[in-house]
Amino acid sequence: MRVYQVIFIFILLFGASGCIEIIDDLSLNSDGSGTFKYNLNLSASKVKINSILALDSLDGKRVPKIEEIQQKVQEIISSMSEQDGISNVTLSEDYDEYLFKFQCEFESVEKLQIAIKEVVKSQVRENDLEEFDHNWISYDGKKMSRSVPQITIKKSKEINQNDINLLREGTYTSITRFETEIDHFENQNARVSKSNKAVMVRTDPYSLTQDHHLLDNIIYLVKTE
Amino acid sequence: MKKALLFSLLLSGFQTTFGQGSEELVPNQAMAVVSINNVNLLQKISLDELVQYEFMEEVQQELFDGSTSGKTLKDSGIDFDQKLNVFFGKVENYEVSGLTFGVKNKKQLFQVFDDYAPIQSSYADIEFFESYFNRIAIQTNRGILFRITPNMDIVNEITDSIWYARGNEYPWYNDDFEEFYNILEEEGSEEEIEFMNEMEIEENTSNPTDEEPPVADDDPNTKTYYELRDSVELALHGQYLKEFCDELFIQKNTLIKNAPDFKEQLSHDSEGIYYSNNSSGSWYNQDLTTMRMLYPGFYEEIMDLYAGNRLLGDMMILDNNIELTLRAKYNDKLGSIYQSLTDTKFDKNVLKYIHQDNNSFFTYNVSTRAAYEQWYDVVTPILESSDDALISSYLLMLELMDEYINKDALFGTYKGSLFGTYSGIKKIKTRKIEFDYDEENFEYIEREVEAEEDMPIFAFGISTDRNDIAERVLKHLEKINPDCHNMGKYWQFDNVVLNAAPLYILTQNDLFIMTNDESLAKDHPNGYGDKALSKKIAKKAKKSGALYAYADLGKAIESIPRGLFNDEENEIIDVIRGKSGTIELTSSETSTTETTFNLRYNFEGDYENSGTYILDLINSLYVISK
Repeated sequence: MRVYQVIFIFILLFGASGCIEIIDDLSLNSDGSGTFKYNLNLSASKVKINSILALDSLDGKRVPKIEEIQQKVQEIISSMSEQDGISNVTLSEDYDEYLFKFQCEFESVEKLQIAIKEVVKSQVRENDLEEFDHNWISYDGKKMSRSVPQITIKKSKEINQNDINLLREGTYTSITRFETEIDHFENQNARVSKSNKAVMVRTDPYSLTQDHHLLDNIIYLVKTE
Repeated sequence: MKKALLFSLLLSGFQTTFGQGSEELVPNQAMAVVSINNVNLLQKISLDELVQYEFMEEVQQELFDGSTSGKTLKDSGIDFDQKLNVFFGKVENYEVSGLTFGVKNKKQLFQVFDDYAPIQSSYADIEFFESYFNRIAIQTNRGILFRITPNMDIVNEITDSIWYARGNEYPWYNDDFEEFYNILEEEGSEEEIEFMNEMEIEENTSNPTDEEPPVADDDPNTKTYYELRDSVELALHGQYLKEFCDELFIQKNTLIKNAPDFKEQLSHDSEGIYYSNNSSGSWYNQDLTTMRMLYPGFYEEIMDLYAGNRLLGDMMILDNNIELTLRAKYNDKLGSIYQSLTDTKFDKNVLKYIHQDNNSFFTYNVSTRAAYEQWYDVVTPILESSDDALISSYLLMLELMDEYINKDALFGTYKGSLFGTYSGIKKIKTRKIEFDYDEENFEYIEREVEAEEDMPIFAFGISTDRNDIAERVLKHLEKINPDCHNMGKYWQFDNVVLNAAPLYILTQNDLFIMTNDESLAKDHPNGYGDKALSKKIAKKAKKSGALYAYADLGKAIESIPRGLFNDEENEIIDVIRGKSGTIELTSSETSTTETTFNLRYNFEGDYENSGTYILDLINSLYVISK
């Protein structure tokens, strides 16, 4: 089993077994460039993660060593850094608290999406995944559309029922910020910040596995002269 | 062999017998035998009920193929009035495994074992049937299904000898490469495999393709290394098979004839017996060949030390109980060490630290000092008897260490007695990171907050007369390790257990205790007082010999989250879940000739009878092995 698969299971299964917190944070400038942050917080499950890392195998699958995870993560970061239109890629790794903070700057959301697809392609065998044809994000200066990649939902559905029930304890937060004010948005579960320049949608990973459109949103900006 | 295993599984739920029978065919080479009676179980379990188990459905399918569908086990031709004896043996040249059973109707039996074809027999009154390397031999009303496997070290040695004598090169030069290639094929990307393919056809490779070993297809008289090895194995198999059969059917050299202990065990009316000879064959499992070749005298002395070493067991099924009794038998020399090891008073202090609500605990009560002294007295003469320089140097080293090491300090620090407890899963305090969002623009900051996580709670302690030595070490650690704190009545090491929870050390009452139980360290450093173990169980622990263990399975199993096990493991555990019960392991006083261990599984809850309970367990084991 490849390390990235283990990392995925590690995040979704074990992290979720205790509590997983994901923050997907996109800040957009007026020219379409911006900053993307992705934070994964497993600190509430560190006992369980440490106990699993102490094992050689689990469910017949080898448990990776921390060094292997670090190596794979670095590969992904290097790969992301090499993508067109992506710069200042950083990753903060805290293996005591199991807190990981990814950040990069992008020239446009289209280039960000292509970069993520390329990195995923380089890591998975199934290069013909339908997901690669699907766009999760688009921005035309007046309107932004966002959704969650379906590959994440598909993978999380592979988790057995006992564990998936524990996903209810986690949180998934999606934040989108703009330089200009927001006019309105379509997701009824979303809320806007006091500044009227940011939108947040929160759910739990379990609900997301049941309805992968929960975080979908189309955000319309106030028209400027 | 799958059928054989299923067959044994099937019969393991079903046997008992008396007098002459299948046990007479257990070969002398057998090192371990499980012999199962069936009467008691059969009295309790109807066949109709039995076939409802999933493993029985499969057995039925395996035993009865299409032409016999609709039949039941009663039609299998097996004599259920005889014992089933499953055995395993190992001698220097080969391993033998199999089972012996009673035969009621041969025709029906071979409708079940329809893969077996009759072959010519060289033995009077014995009929032979074969299926690949497996054999069934029938002698009147009893049969033996067995398989001989030659010792691969001998096979390889002979193969190598012939291979080199024929002028061949070292046959394994490509193995590492192939193994590496196979791993890549399994794990690697297509690019990596392509790269390796290219490498393989390069001219400077260590394995040019035009120098592949010749195969039989090219020249039927020339065999590859593997083909040669198969031929050697086949030839040896035939030779060892004949040796085995001659001994069993001509010389009638059976285990029951040569092992009085085994014969005596068979006379027991328990549901099953266990016999294991640890004095001879088991040594072939260990790599003592070098010792035997270089120091034959010393090797013989060591062998003598283990002569007469046997394990004899009985399994009894009573209402609400399954009881296993295991007698470890040994000779006086080894026995004197064991007796010295256990010749010590029970340390009552440990009982103070076992809570009455504990899910499970064990106590182990031995004297390392007495055992060492006795071991020294036994081993020194063995070493002295050797003239070999190396062994003589070992003896000198041992004598010098005995002179110069402070045995009072060493054995005072670790006297030998210890205990352990498991108190189930409890919430422990940890820290976690949370994100706080501002409402202005949903920016967020991290903050550390208190959290709780589930953790198994344990305690482990040893008896000691020298806690002053431990204190000295701890004081030193406090100076150099910021996570080590002297809390007065206990010591605390932060973030030691799974990098998240503290480990507490108690040095009280001549005990050195390590635990992650905050309550034990902070609130009960001197023991649980009136909340300690009940007098009834404490008395049993004190009365037991070297070892006592107790587990409240209901509490222990229910307290362990399902998430800690995979689905298959949960299949087994589910059998115990909802059927509260206890397991108790006791040991007798150790004499110079034997120690008896007794394991009693006492269960309550949702079950119909003991047999059903066992079949539940067998069924679970079957389901997970599929």
